Amino acid sequence: MIMISGIVALVLLIAITLFRDDGSTQTGPSELGPAAPVDSSMCIASKEYMQAHHMQVLDKWRHDSVREGNRTHVTPDGRHFDKSLQTCLGCHANNRFFCFMCHQYANVKPTCWNCHLSPMESSK
Amino acid sequence: MNQQRRDFLKKASLGALAGIGAMAGIIPTFALEKTDTSVFSDRPQPGKTRWGMLIDTRNCREGCSECVAACHATHNVPDFGDSKNEVKWIWKSPYEKAFPTSSLQLPSRQLQELDVLTLCNHCAEPPCTKACPTEATFKRWDGIVAMDYHRCIGCRFCMAACPYGSRSFNWQDPRPAISEYSDTYPTRERGVVEKCNFCSERLVKGQQPACVEACPGKAITFGDLNDPASVIRTMLGDNETVQRKPELGTLPSVFYII
Repeated sequence: MIMISGIVALVLLIAITLFRDDGSTQTGPSELGPAAPVDSSMCIASKEYMQAHHMQVLDKWRHDSVREGNRTHVTPDGRHFDKSLQTCLGCHANNRFFCFMCHQYANVKPTCWNCHLSPMESSK
Repeated sequence: MNQQRRDFLKKASLGALAGIGAMAGIIPTFALEKTDTSVFSDRPQPGKTRWGMLIDTRNCREGCSECVAACHATHNVPDFGDSKNEVKWIWKSPYEKAFPTSSLQLPSRQLQELDVLTLCNHCAEPPCTKACPTEATFKRWDGIVAMDYHRCIGCRFCMAACPYGSRSFNWQDPRPAISEYSDTYPTRERGVVEKCNFCSERLVKGQQPACVEACPGKAITFGDLNDPASVIRTMLGDNETVQRKPELGTLPSVFYII
């Protein structure tokens, strides 16, 4: 009885291992350049997600790019972005008040603009 | 629960466990979880690259400071106009200031009059990173001694530890002292230490450092010291070079042809 159940479990396990996608068909990010904001036609995530979580995304990006050198963000649908505040501002700086409208409404004072040039200062 | 079913489940799970154990023993490469290595491929490998610089003082023109201007404009380095508040990433020093422990006691007149380009040496054994209490300055995977301005608390231990005076402190808000903002790099704020970053923000784009590009005499060579085929390694092999204060054991990545 133990033998039979064991063999059944083994066969199942092997079947699962054999037929699972091992990701070998994917192309690695190594073929890309070291860092590139590739597709800026759409944001890295949905508007709702970014509204609620952009601070966590930026905090993670900061850690990854400054301290670990992992500069490429890959979205679940395979688009690549440079992990940089410049990537965000590449689009969102079109509206000079983009960051400030919400921050003022929510009465939050992020320290980003102590050093990073905000759209207010950089746009000509 | 049916007693028989309970027994079956017990035995089946035992069998499965035994099977997994046997498989792992028989085939060592058999792993339950496959590691997707493609995730790691764009991460830098520590020690693979070591960026370095070779400054040929013979080609460095007297009175020229194009590299300094280019660097400071690129990185929003403030100019307060007085030496107390001075912030500098790259600058020119008299020979005896740059090489105070050089074996030449009475250097030639030519050497005495020589101005040498000095900047952060991006030491392989940096004393500053060991002094930093918050790991705001740290040695990167590619040999660059980087500053994480987000973490700097302004204690200036690193400035005391650096034997080359390569670090500057922002005693005041630097923004009013920046004539024109460069949008390729952030500014700093009051109370942080700053220094040369070997243009790491340009290196990721495949560009040479700003000072290398700006030099009209092509006196600065930048490259990978760990790559025996690189231009900088060839030049280091062909010329006699010196480093600043080599006796300290900091192993600078900046070399000079005097």
